[in-house]
Formats: sequence, structure tokens, C-alpha cells
Amino acid sequence: MSESSSTVVSRPAGRRSAPAEGGARIELVALTKRYPGQSEPAVDDVSMDIAAGELVMLLGPSGCGKTTTMKMINRLIEPTSGHVLINGEDVLRLDPAELRRRIGYVIQQIGLFPHLTIAENIGLVPRLLGWKAVTIAARVDELLELVGLDPSAYRGRYPRQLSGGQQQRVGVARALAADPPVMLMDEPFGATDPITREHLQTEFHKLQRELRKTIVFVTHDFDEALRLGDRIAVLRERSVIAQFDTPERILSAPADEYVAGFVGSAAAIRRSGLTTVDDALRHIALAPPGDDSGGLSVSGEDTVRDAIDAMLRNGRDRIHVTDRDGAVLGSLDFTRICELWARAGQPGGRDVG
Amino acid sequence: MSFAEYLEFNWDDLLTMAAEHLAVVVVALALAVLIGVSVGMLTWQSPRWSGVALAASGGLLTIPSLALLALLIPVLGLGWVPSVTALVLYSLLPIVRNTVAGLRAVDPAILEAADGMGLSRTGAMWRVQLPMAWPVIITGIRVSAQLLFAIATIAAYVAGPGFGHEIFAGLARLGAANALNQAIAGTLGVVALALVFDAAFIVIRRLTTSRGLRV
Ligand SMILES: Nc1ncnc2c1ncn2[C@@H]1O[C@H](COP(=O)(O)OP(=O)(O)OP(=O)(O)O)[C@@H](O)[C@H]1O
Ligand SMILES: [Mg+2]
Repeated sequence: MSESSSTVVSRPAGRRSAPAEGGARIELVALTKRYPGQSEPAVDDVSMDIAAGELVMLLGPSGCGKTTTMKMINRLIEPTSGHVLINGEDVLRLDPAELRRRIGYVIQQIGLFPHLTIAENIGLVPRLLGWKAVTIAARVDELLELVGLDPSAYRGRYPRQLSGGQQQRVGVARALAADPPVMLMDEPFGATDPITREHLQTEFHKLQRELRKTIVFVTHDFDEALRLGDRIAVLRERSVIAQFDTPERILSAPADEYVAGFVGSAAAIRRSGLTTVDDALRHIALAPPGDDSGGLSVSGEDTVRDAIDAMLRNGRDRIHVTDRDGAVLGSLDFTRICELWARAGQPGGRDVG
Repeated sequence: MSFAEYLEFNWDDLLTMAAEHLAVVVVALALAVLIGVSVGMLTWQSPRWSGVALAASGGLLTIPSLALLALLIPVLGLGWVPSVTALVLYSLLPIVRNTVAGLRAVDPAILEAADGMGLSRTGAMWRVQLPMAWPVIITGIRVSAQLLFAIATIAAYVAGPGFGHEIFAGLARLGAANALNQAIAGTLGVVALALVFDAAFIVIRRLTTSRGLRV
């Protein structure tokens, strides 16, 4: 049973910490795109303010205009009207190719160049920017390390010699190559199997906590949006924003039926996956350890959902909470968790998590 | 005189003819690659224009070679120039066709990635599209080369270089001494050249294609 107490994929605490200098602010101002020959605009008067270092998820059903909205940021699609500002600068005033070299871009199909080695793929934008060969080589190795690939084993390989998941990591490394302040990601993990996807998401989330890029991330997977997003923009048809808020707020206070439809029936359970035990302990006190926990334990960095899951799987109603070094601090039981949720449901209780 | 003796006696001349034959084919092929690949690069995106290019280069192939050469004489005179011109016109189709096909076969997602990374149109063409289409393009060039070795013999009619003169001179005097030897020597020369060149192509193709496209 000891596996139940080990750290599962957990949401690291403090992920809402103030953004560092890594990113740039992005503003969408009354952005509209009307494709030729279509009566309805694909994106209709969308405005959005994205803080530097923030990871914003664009979530919505297929065809609602997520990709179109995102591609107007790096001008792969030109807006019919409206503006995109990056750090206050109107992107329509910049040369598109130069703009794109300063914006990382990752797509679902990855699009690695099969005739170039992994190192050449990653080093392409730095080369376009005129970096020196030695600088590029060092940067390539650094990035491969960063995305968890051994540079000596992978830099000389070709894309077709890599698995889908490995290619996707190289895709992320390539987008990061010139250290752009802004990244655009269009369902980057969509083509991988669920296990690989979750793995990539976890790693990516860790990476982003370090790098603090400003990221616009398109998905239609609600769980992915919850897991990664600082904020989620739930979009309707024509990219109209139904709600633009933190994952917690979207789970606890969906703006309307449409948003509630995404949340589905297990909102409370999902929310428990966003709340770490440490967060919970700011609102409820620990019980004394007792000795009936059957050896189950979670650490402060695990989520409340991990705690509930371990209890359910082991048929216990109590679990030990340990500190970083594994020393038992006290215990948590179902009654206390219910208490926490009852409190979180109250007005003003939304800051749980 | 036996065929072996004929070869021994005329070895110098035959080598000169082989060199000329090879040279005229290589020059024509180089020009055809320049023109054909450019036409393919300019038209691959437009079904209409690539259709026009293919129809035109295909149409050229249907002109009987003697007629084409005869038409070129008043404009270009005799010798190398009309020979090379005719050969270039005949070798365009496989090159244009394969360039268009090769460029079209590049995955749109790869082009989107190139665009999104900030490669310019021409940058994407030279760094990504052309290298990826290259194995297909060079296959077209190889087909053209094979065509050209055979067609180049006709150049003899405009007093062009190569084995053509040897073959036609032999055929014209069949029955006379060494006439058959002459025709056979010329024909075998063309075949041998074509085979050696084709083998070289396999090597060239390997050397010029990224290993990443072969794995
Ligand atoms: N190049 C185009 N020309 C015309 N219409 C387009 C074009 N690209 C997209 N559309 C239309 O615009 C709308 C929004 O498309 P978009 O690709 O932005 O959707 P999406 O939210 O990214 O969908 P998905 O989740 O399926 O990728 C769709 O109705 C689509 O048919
Ligand atoms: Mg899309």
C-alpha cells in the first residue's frame, strides 16, 4: 500500500506566485477576423489582457476560433480589425518574420524538419538571428537538457529517429531556442497518448514555473486547461469569451450554463485536484496523528485529491500529513475535508487553493 | 577489320566523341535543371500555372526531334548551340513534373512551422522545401539524363558533338568497309555512357540527400 502514499502528479504549491520578468504583456483589443466569403466572423470583437509571465488557456469546442485567435498574435493570420499589443507595441507595425522569431510557436503536428538534425532544428531560429555557432551549440544542449533529453544522445539524430513524445519535446525546445518572451502553443500535446500527454504536461508545467514566459495555449481538453492554466478563457462560437478566470473560479463559480457544461458533474473533485494540502491547511487545522492511518501519508505539496484518492483506495478515513523530510505533522480525515469544502462554497471562500 | 581492331584503331576518336557526348548532355542537363526547377518552384502552388508548365514541357516532347532541329537551324545555326537547345527542351518535363510533385508533397504542417518560426518565403523554400523535395527532383533529373543520352545522337543532324556522327555515318554507308563496326561502336558508346552516368547518379543522389530523409 505504500505506493498510495507516494507523491502522485501533484500541482506544486505557489504556482500563482507573481510573474517574473520572463514574459511580455499581451493585449488583444477588439480583435476580429472575418474570412473571405463567410457571413459570420470566425473571431468576433475579442478583447483580452494577458499579464507578463501568465499562462492563459484558450478553451472551447472545435471550430470556435481558438486557432484563429492565437494566430493573429504572430500574424500568421491578419486581423480584419482590432489590434494585438505585445508590451504595448502594436504587432501590425512590425515585420512579420522578425515578430515571429521573437515568439515561440508549437503546433500539434510538431512540424520538425525531417532533413535537419535535432540540433539543427533547434538552432534554426538562433541562426536566423545571427548567433555564433558555439553559442548556438551550447544553447541547443542547454535546451535538450531542459526538456529532458540527453544532448549527447539526441543532438545528432533526425526527427524520424524519435518517438512522438520525444519529438514534441524537441518542438518545445525549438520554440524556446531564442528565449522568446511569448509562446503560442496550439494543442501541443494533443497528438500523444494520454499517459505521455500527462507526463509532458507535468514537465511543461514545471518548466513554465522556472521560465515564466507569457503563453497562450490552445486546448479543448478541460483537464489540461485546469492542470496548466493560470487563467482559462472559455470561448463560445466566434471566440466570444464566456468566462476568463482562474481554474478555481471556473470550477467554483462558472459564469453560466455554457461554462458549467465544461466543468461537468465532478466539479468538487476536480477542484480538490487544484488545492494542495498546504493550501488546505491554511483554512483547517490538522488533527493529531492518531495511529489508525494504516501507514497512509501525503505531503503538503500533494493535492487534496491525492489525499482523498489514497483514503478511498485503501478504505481508510484518515491520512497522515508529512513534511518535506517525511516527519508526520498530523492527520487529515474526511470530516475535515468536507468542512473545508463547505467553507470554500461560501461567498468569500474562493481563495481556497 | 574485326570490331576489336576497329576499336583499337579508332580509340582516340571514340574517346573524343564520348567526351563530347557526355559534355553536351551534362551542359544541357545543367541548364534544364536550372530552368525546370525554377519553373517548378514558381508554379507548384498554383494548379493553373503548374498545369500550363507541365502541358508546355510535355508538348515539347511530342515534337519529332528531327523537325525540332530543322526548325532551330535558321535561328541558331549548326553545332553545339542548337544541339544543347534541343536537349534542354526535351528534358524539361521530368524535371518540372518532379519538382512540382516533390514540393507539393511537403507536409503543410512543416510549412506552417517554418512560417511560424519566422522563415521568409525564400528562406523556407531554400532551407526546407527544396531539400525535402530533393530526392523526388533528382529522380526526375535522372530520367531526363537517360533520355538525353539517346536523343543527343540526333545532334549529328545539326553537326553537333557526340556519337551521333559515328552512328549515322556508319549507317549511311552500310555494306562499305567498317560501316557496321562504326555504327555499333557509336551505339555501344552511347549505352555505356548512359549506364555509367546512371550509376554515378545513384551515388550523387545519396550524397545530396539528407540522411534524415532516408531513415
Ligand atoms: N483559412 C480559413 N478560411 C476560411 N475559414 C476558416 C479558415 N480557417 C478557419 N476557418 C473557419 O473559422 C472558424 C474557426 O476556425 P479555427 O481553426 O480558429 O477553430 P478552432 O477553435 O481552432 O478549432 P479546432 O479545435 O478544431 O482546431 C471555423 O469555422 C473554420 O471553419
Ligand atoms: Mg485549432
